[in-house]
Amino acid sequence: MIAPFTSSGSISETGALIAAPLIGVGFGWFLERGGLGNAPKLAAQFYLTDLRVFKVMFSALLTAMIGAFWLDRLGLLDLSLVSLPDTFLVPQAVGGVLFGAGFLIAGLCPGTTCVAAATGRVDGLGVLGGLFAGVIFFDLNYGRLEHFYLSTPREGFTLPHLIGASEGVTVAIITVVALAGFVLAERIERSRA
Amino acid sequence: MNRLHRTLAIAAATLGCTAAVAGRRPTTDPSVLATEIDRETDHVSALDLAEQIMRNDADLRLYDLRSAAEYEEFHIPRAQRTTVTDLTRTTLPANAKIVLYSTGGAHAAQAWVLLRMRGFRNVSFLREGAYEWTARVLQPQLAVDATAAERAEFERAKPMSRFFGGTARTGVARAEVLQGYWTGAANDGSSVTTAGATSVVRRQGC
Amino acid sequence: MNRSPKPYSDPYVAGVGLGAVLLGSYVLVGRGLGASGAFSSVVAAGAALTMGTERASSSAAMSPYLTHGFTSPLHDWLVLELLGAAVGGFLSAYFAGRLKVRMERGAHITSRSRLVWAVFGGVLMGFGAKLARGCTSGQALTGGALLSVGSWIFIATCFAAAYLLSPFAKRLWL
Repeated sequence: MIAPFTSSGSISETGALIAAPLIGVGFGWFLERGGLGNAPKLAAQFYLTDLRVFKVMFSALLTAMIGAFWLDRLGLLDLSLVSLPDTFLVPQAVGGVLFGAGFLIAGLCPGTTCVAAATGRVDGLGVLGGLFAGVIFFDLNYGRLEHFYLSTPREGFTLPHLIGASEGVTVAIITVVALAGFVLAERIERSRA
Repeated sequence: MNRLHRTLAIAAATLGCTAAVAGRRPTTDPSVLATEIDRETDHVSALDLAEQIMRNDADLRLYDLRSAAEYEEFHIPRAQRTTVTDLTRTTLPANAKIVLYSTGGAHAAQAWVLLRMRGFRNVSFLREGAYEWTARVLQPQLAVDATAAERAEFERAKPMSRFFGGTARTGVARAEVLQGYWTGAANDGSSVTTAGATSVVRRQGC
Repeated sequence: MNRSPKPYSDPYVAGVGLGAVLLGSYVLVGRGLGASGAFSSVVAAGAALTMGTERASSSAAMSPYLTHGFTSPLHDWLVLELLGAAVGGFLSAYFAGRLKVRMERGAHITSRSRLVWAVFGGVLMGFGAKLARGCTSGQALTGGALLSVGSWIFIATCFAAAYLLSPFAKRLWL
């Protein structure tokens, strides 16, 4: 198993820190290329006039998901060593709702905000300030929120476990659903044009 | 839908859907592991381990699978405390030399299987855990009626015992010599009294 | 430099590129992308700078970001990655002639209003991302591709909330 390189020893901890901004450059580049550094374009997603948020996000998700599955299957990448984000079911659902509301109002998310600010968009700076304020507000109220914040943990809970299918079948299902979504998105955009 | 989109869609559909019939990544064949277990190549002796530690082998990853209290009271130098669960998830270089030990050896043996299944090639464990370390490295004893083999092993252990701050003793009555599989004792350690074993460990005080 | 802005790339192509970067991250460093976590790091480091590491670490919310005493934000992977994202975004816009100092806003709203709403939206997202342990990059993209249930819950609730609230935000965008 050669990957993750940090696990097989090919990349040290320092190497990982060097890789971070390089990976980031790729991240920011493609976000901007896709038009996600522009708030009105992002918000158009929710008025069904420009569905690029969905297209970019799910194309990226499919690419990484299918790529990761096959690299693991071929023994090149040990997926069990790739960090899975934390899972806390209810806080994530509630956080998702708040985040979605903020996303609609701001027209930018944390990643795209940095891209927007870096490309001269002043509204991006506003969102940046708000993000810091939101984090600080959370930290100041942590005591009150802690119990809720730590509720319903489910470490390592993945879709295959939930639906009782293999990883491969899950990947296939998501692929089909996403592709159907793309077809639908094209139809919606065309009808709105 | 233009040509580019069609190409991307076909690629995604093909790769994504064949995933459904791709099965799982092949893990180490159980019969390979079974052979190693029968041949006892899954063990490492306390003396060999001591050598690795003294050599300051950079690839060595020594894991203690006992409780936090036991670890605090005494652990083999360079050992990190961990659990079987953490070992199945821990990030390690593929060429790591992993050595495990627990109290009796059960958890170490189980963790051995799981780590080998994960694909690590160089995994072994101390058959009689921390006790074996104490009895063979820290407090080696030479019986009055020692055989040549026992004498040779004692000579090998003496500098190690010194290095790790233990004491080697000669002229010990046969009945008092700490038993283990290396003295031909029964596999289940039934000839070792628990009190005797723990009192040896406690005397270390580190 | 006064070239006219080029149109954006095909979103599917940009998406595949983004996915390739994400996959590369899994392969190189065993983790995916992220953004909101960097904000937490910076806040924690800021707190440690102003009130001292001891006091800052005593906050249960911030202590995870200060495990090595005063962790300078520069030592945190996500912060470095996000700085890189700013550079990447800048470069892409530069080569496409899309660099522009302006307030992006809907057609029927003033710049001032836009700015106020932008800040407010940011506050909601900052708070929501803390609860959700991530944002669209860390949870939706990274976790989604790794099939994490929590990430997919986040995707669903995030988009659902935005769509359900969109009639009330028309003034901002349309």
